[in-house]
Formats: sequence, C-alpha cells, structure tokens
Amino acid sequence: MSAEGARGARVVLVVDDEARILSALRRTLRREGYEILTAETPAEALRILEERPVDLILSDQKMPGMSGLELLARAAERCPSAARLLITGWTEEVPQRQLEALGVRALLPKPWDDGELKRTLRQALGASRPG
Amino acid sequence: MRIVVALPSGQDAEATLAALRRLGREVELVLVHDATQCLGQARDGSVDLVVADRALGEETDRILEGLRSEGPPVVVVAGEASDEVALDAFRRGAADCVAASDDFPRVLAIVALEQIRRWRAVRERGAVERRLQTLERLNDVIVEAIPAALAVLDAEGRVVGVNPEFSRTFEVSAESAQGQPLERLLPRDLLESGGVIGLLARAALQRGVEARVARGVGPDGSPRAFDARARRLGDDGRLLLVLADVTERERLAKRIVDLQRYTENIIQNLNSALLVVDVEGRITFANAMAERILGATRLRGHSVAEWFPTTPRQSALLVRTLEEGLRFRGAEATITRADGQWLPIGVSCAPLVDADGTKLGAVAVFQDLSEIKELQRHVLQAEKMASIGQLAAGVAHEINNPMGFIHANLFQMAEYLQDLRRLWDRAELLRHAAAEGDLARIRAAAAALGELAGEVDADYVLADFAKAVRESQEGSERIRHIVQDLRHFSRHDPSERTFSDVNECLDSTANIVWTMMKHSVVLEKHYSQLPRLRCYPMQLKQVFMNLLVNAYQAIEEKRGPQGEHGRVRLATQQRGGNVVITVSDDGIGIPPENLSRIFDPFFTTKEVGMGTGLGLSTCFSIVERHGGTIRVESQPGEGSTFEVVLPLAAQDEPRPEPAP
Repeated sequence: MSAEGARGARVVLVVDDEARILSALRRTLRREGYEILTAETPAEALRILEERPVDLILSDQKMPGMSGLELLARAAERCPSAARLLITGWTEEVPQRQLEALGVRALLPKPWDDGELKRTLRQALGASRPG
Repeated sequence: MRIVVALPSGQDAEATLAALRRLGREVELVLVHDATQCLGQARDGSVDLVVADRALGEETDRILEGLRSEGPPVVVVAGEASDEVALDAFRRGAADCVAASDDFPRVLAIVALEQIRRWRAVRERGAVERRLQTLERLNDVIVEAIPAALAVLDAEGRVVGVNPEFSRTFEVSAESAQGQPLERLLPRDLLESGGVIGLLARAALQRGVEARVARGVGPDGSPRAFDARARRLGDDGRLLLVLADVTERERLAKRIVDLQRYTENIIQNLNSALLVVDVEGRITFANAMAERILGATRLRGHSVAEWFPTTPRQSALLVRTLEEGLRFRGAEATITRADGQWLPIGVSCAPLVDADGTKLGAVAVFQDLSEIKELQRHVLQAEKMASIGQLAAGVAHEINNPMGFIHANLFQMAEYLQDLRRLWDRAELLRHAAAEGDLARIRAAAAALGELAGEVDADYVLADFAKAVRESQEGSERIRHIVQDLRHFSRHDPSERTFSDVNECLDSTANIVWTMMKHSVVLEKHYSQLPRLRCYPMQLKQVFMNLLVNAYQAIEEKRGPQGEHGRVRLATQQRGGNVVITVSDDGIGIPPENLSRIFDPFFTTKEVGMGTGLGLSTCFSIVERHGGTIRVESQPGEGSTFEVVLPLAAQDEPRPEPAP
C-alpha cells in the first residue's frame, strides 16, 4: 500500500495483480491531483478499505483468488460512497447486467487511452462528490 | 497235319498208316489202341482227324461218342464193306466210313484229306465267328458306355441306330429314333446354326473325321455345346455322328478364364502395389500400382534391391523375408526410386512356398504412405493449432498486461519528453545568454529554467522516465518471450527423430500453459536426470500440452469461479529402459465409464468449442509412434494421473510377425 498526493485530495485505490500496470496507471494519473493508493491483490485492497475510506476504486477484473467484480461488490459493503470502476482487457466478457447490479460506474478497456481514463475518473469522482 | 489212328494193339497198322502217309510228309501220325488214349489225343485241339478201326469194337463207339459234339471228324475203317456197319457208324457220328477194300489206301487218303479240309474250314469259321461275337459285344459295350451321343445315319439321313447316351441327351428312345430323319430328333438350332448338318454334308463327301463345336439349346432349352464329329462309315453312304456334350467342360474352361481375368483385374486394379519375387529377389510379377509406386515399367527380371533397402538389416524387410522366411504386416519402410526420390511405404511381405514347402520367393504388398504421412502431419498440426487456440486466451491475457502498461507508459513518456523539451528550450536560452555574457540575462534565464524545473518536477520526470523505459523494455521482453514460445510451439517437427531432452520439452510446454492456468493452479515440478530420448520433440510437447490443458480444465471444472487453487504435479523419471512422464491433477476426475474411451478419437465431454475430442487420441497415436504407452488412473472428484512411458531404445523398426 502506498499513498501520495496533497492533503484533502480525492483518494483513488487502484488494484491490479500486475505491478507494472499499477506503475503505469500511477503515471497516467500523476497530474490529476489524486491521492493514489495501490494494491496488488484483492485481499490487500480490502485491507486498505478496512483502514480508510476512498473516493474511487479502479480494479482489474482477472486476478488470482478473486475477480475484480467480486472485489467491487465487497468494496461496496465497506465503502458505499466510493465510485467503482472496472478495467479489463476483456470488456465484452463482463456482463453489463452484473455491472449495473453492482453499481459499477464504468468499464474501462486495457490497454487504456490516457485521456479517456482521466476523463472517466474525473466524471466518476464529480458524480460521487458528496453534497 | 495231325491224325490219330486207333486200332487194336495186335493188329497190323501198316496198311492204314501207309495209306495216310500218302497225304504228305508233314502228316504226323499218332497211333493209339483204345478210346481213352484216342480221346486224350483228339481233344487237345491240334488233331485234324481221327481214324478209328471198327475192330476196336466198343472202343470205337466210345471214340465216336466222345467226339460227336465237338472235336475232329472221325473216319471209321471197317473190315468189310457193309451198309449196316456204315450206317451204324454214321449214326454214331462218324464223318465217313471206309471199307478195307483193294482200293483202301487211296480211298482212305482221299476221305481223310476231304475230312481234314472240311474240319479246318469249320474250325476257321468258328474262330471268325467267335472273334466277331467278341468284337460285337465289345462294340455294344463301347457304344453303350461312351459318354457321347452316337447315331448312325443312312444315305438319306435317316437314323439307323442311336446309343443310349443319344437317347438320354435328346430324350428319344432308340426304337422311336429308328428310321427318323435327324431333323426330327435334334434341336433345329443345333443342326443349322450349330452346324451339324454342314458337318454331315462334309463327312459324306470325304474320308476321315470331320469335327467342329456345335452350339444350340438342349431339349430343356438350356444352351449346350457339343464336340461334334462325323465320319462316313463305308461306301454305302452311311454316316456316324458323334456328339459329345462339352457344355460343362466349356463352362469350366470359361470359368477358369473368367477367374484368371477376374484375379488379374483385381491385382491390376488393386490400390496396393503387388510384387512377386523369386528366391534371388528378382521380380517375376508386378501390378500396375507397383509400377506406379516404383516409378518404372517392365519390372520383370529387375532386382528388388534397386528400390528396397538391403541395409541396415532391420530395414531390409524383403531380404529378410526371402532369406529368413519372416513375415511382416503393415511395416513402415522407405523405398528409393530411380530418380532418387524417397517414398514412405507400408509394406507386408510373406514368403512364397509351394505345396512341398520349397521356397519360391516372396510376395510383397505395399502402399504409398506419403499422402497418409502428409495427412497425419496435417491432423497433428490441426490438433496442435486447436490446442493453441485454447491457449490463446491465456496467452492473450499475458500479452495484454504488458501491452497495457507499455501503451500507457508511451503516452506518459511523450509527456515527459515535452516537459524535457521545454526544459531544454530554457537551457538553450541560458546557453545563449551565457555566450553573450550579459549577466542580467543569464540570471533571468537561469531563474526561468529553475522555475520550470520545479514546475515540471524535473527530478521526478527524469527518474520516472528512466523507470518507465525500463518497465516498458521489460514488458516488451515479456511479449517477445511469449510470442517466441508460441512460435516455438506451433513449429513443424523435423521429419527425422532427434535426440532431445524430455525435461526441456515438458518444461517449455508447461511454461506456456502456465500463462493460462497460473491464476488457478499451483504447478509442482519434479524432474529427474534423464538420458536424451530419440524422439519427435514437437510431438511430445503436444502430448504434454494436451495433458496440461486437460489437467487445468479438470481443475477449473472442480473449483468453480473463485475456488481454491488446484495442483498440477509434473514428474519425470527413468524406469529401466524407459522414460516415464506423469502429469497429475487434483481436478474433477474422470468417471469410470469414460476411462476406456478417453483415448478414442472425437470422444469429448467438453462443451462444443472447448475441445476437438482429438487431444487424447492424438496423444495416444503420438506415444504409440514412439513405441510407448499412455495410461490414466482417475478417481472422480479426486483427480487424474496420466502416465506416459517412452522406451529409450527406439521401437520404430518393424518387427516380424509369426508365421500363421
């Protein structure tokens, strides 16, 4: 787990079993002014959520032990206000209905387009901004 | 000329003997004195005449009695001329009676001569008649027994007589045939188109036998063939017609020709090549396919060594068949054609021996296997591609991750480059200012550079740029590896066996499949030191891949989407002259009812699109091709273990089969 960014910044939790992906996502979001937390396993992500609330969770779908969708479902119980986004190389394999049922805000492709990723996160955070 | 003279022993015989000597020097006179002696002599067949003196009294009567019905004539010599005596003698069977008068010698000689001449005539006539009787009987037997229909025709063409076979063949009795024109007795087509009439006409005009095969229908309407012969019997215009039914003989002869043609046809049109060779290995027969496969015509007399290998010994199948009497069935071999081209063939050879067991040579039947080999390669390749298709998802995932971060990193590096460009622009300004030496401008430029460096976080940018490059390099290296592995895997095998490291084959395969199963499977490897195995490494990899993919799927099926990790255990070891590879999983297992079928082609329990049903059958044939075995043990719900046993000594040399 790691955290950075200005105090009072929006907190984004990125989950992927591939460290290089985390590293690249961090690069992409570097200028967005978020506090970025990363987790390499769903279990680690859940531990982080035990410790502190986050504003947005961006999770990979295919991970050992637990799929991204399942992680987001569990995350919703612990941190209902967090916007939940799924990122996967197989977007067509994820059933839309399940996404909606889980209240997942967006499904992002992997590899991702930098601009699209940033826009999607901004929109998701804007919508989830309290008040 | 032999004459028996019977007269009383005390009587002078001279007068009688002298009279008979007048008949000539060749006359043999036998003197006897009683009936017993006389009859004994007279009945031996060589006696021409008996002269009996009346003076013998009752003995004379016995002689006459004894020779009355058969035997030579008896001339009675009476002491005096008396009609009474003469009549008595004639009554008793005497041929003549001569009185002992003055003229006695001359009369007796004349009478004797006359009686002898008559007797001889009678005797000859009897012999001729007897001979004729014998001949007639023989003739009757022949005519009755001969298996041919005989008819004798008179000059007008009317039947004089027929034999029983004629009656049987043409269903007419001898009596009713008599006097009938032949046209009434024989079927018309046999006479006319069959040519019997023409045959008879020719026979009537010349000596000797006329013959032809006459065809027509018999009385029952079935087609018949006759060996017809006709001959003039004498000058009176009578003809003998002989009709031997050769329908069956012709049918058999035709059947033999048909069978020969049939066999020839089969052999020539056989989709297999057939060669017959003599004990020296020279070709004595070759069918069309043999000519095609061997790529030559007029093979007769050529040595099979021109095409078939003679060394090494284990490949010289035909030679071994010829020399050792071994049999091979469906053995694989290669032949070399005159143009140097190699052909894989499947060949069966057997020694050729006659009924006494004498070696005549060998027969070889073979097929060109190049197409089959090619098809086998295609099937193998197709199966491999299908397996690769299954792998693709896992591999794509493996490629997608590095692609993902390389892609993102490139974006970011472009941004970093922009930052660095801006910094460089300001550094250029500073350099120009420094060159001009204007201190104020130098300070301003340095301040601007410092400000921008802080703004873009230059230290971070430089450090992270390097890190992004490093990570991207590493990612592209990973992609390169995966692609290389895949390419490695989809490569064609060399056509010859090569000495390969089975551990390496198993490990490199496991590494590829691992990309697909690493999220759900723990892989254990227990490799032992192994000698190199002469094998087709790509084919073995395919076996291993099929087993690994199956293990993975069995685990996936058992654990469900989020279950515990499964376990796949790979082990290799040398066991005697074999290399043993085991692939165990703790997946769903195989139901007992499926265990016996899992190596059958197209047997699958997977959903459509998940498997071709060829995977394990391909494994089976690959392992078989290596002379090895593959077997499976499984507990439903507990897992399965596949064991592949490969002999270190290559087993691809054909083995002879026992003689039947």
